[in-house]
Amino acid sequence: MRVGIVNFLGTNCDKDCLFACDTAGVKAEIIQYTQTDLKNFDCIVLPGGFSYGDYLRSGALAKFSPIMRSIKEFAEFGGYVMGICNGFQVLIESGLLPGALLKNNNLKFIHKYVYLKTEHSQCFFTKNIDQNTILKMPIAHGEGNYYCNRDTIKYLNDNNMIVLRYSSKNGEIVQDCNPNGSLENIAGICSKKGNVFGLMPHPERVVGDLGNDGEQIWNSLVG
Amino acid sequence: MKFVVIVKPKKGVLDPQGAAIKKVAEGYLNEPIASIKSGKYFEVEIDSDSAENIVENLASKILSNEVIEDYEVKKL
Repeated sequence: MRVGIVNFLGTNCDKDCLFACDTAGVKAEIIQYTQTDLKNFDCIVLPGGFSYGDYLRSGALAKFSPIMRSIKEFAEFGGYVMGICNGFQVLIESGLLPGALLKNNNLKFIHKYVYLKTEHSQCFFTKNIDQNTILKMPIAHGEGNYYCNRDTIKYLNDNNMIVLRYSSKNGEIVQDCNPNGSLENIAGICSKKGNVFGLMPHPERVVGDLGNDGEQIWNSLVG
Repeated sequence: MKFVVIVKPKKGVLDPQGAAIKKVAEGYLNEPIASIKSGKYFEVEIDSDSAENIVENLASKILSNEVIEDYEVKKL
């Protein structure tokens, strides 16, 4: 599989994602937000950072980049797309995933390790991870408070689109383990077909010497 | 033509900024405040015959996110 890692103005986790792909043994390269030809890629990664300075709303301006129109088409035809942190915000703003990401309910930028429970889902990127596996990964965001209306949350649950939830070390989904106020402790969701995945935690920061909890996600791209 | 666009959180959507401002304001003023909602304000100038359509598109597709926000356009 060949991976394209998108660099928007203000992206800052692109090299970490490249390192994660290298560690997993996946061919990857960084591509610019102006690129529109994605035919050489099987998977596109939207890394974290502060695209366009997070002006207006996180991800709101990046969605108008030339590459985003191509990514929408790429996803419609079944291409794999993963958005991490700011990348998740871009996917949400672009309408590739439903809902919205609000300011953290304590108004703070939160950076710490969290535990995540892997749910039963259609997600391509967690296909090698057993249901109920607990992953430990860092989060680092100011706007990761997942929100959607009642119909949408039912739709997400009914179609196995919730991929990761903030949990305790033992996998209990409780408010004490919810760092930002996300609805139903949601940390990551996927599209109905499972080819588009967005998550607030940073799997690229838990690879190699730093552990393999993130690597399990990157390993889905091997082959 | 000049317009003002106001974007504010939809009813029922949490507004932690408004809630924090309300809490501090009540403490400082020592007066009760029923509610504070925080939003965004934009001044827009468009020289076109279809300025009203353009500002409507701008407000609905770019300046606001329909999942969480409502907007108002006022012509100055």
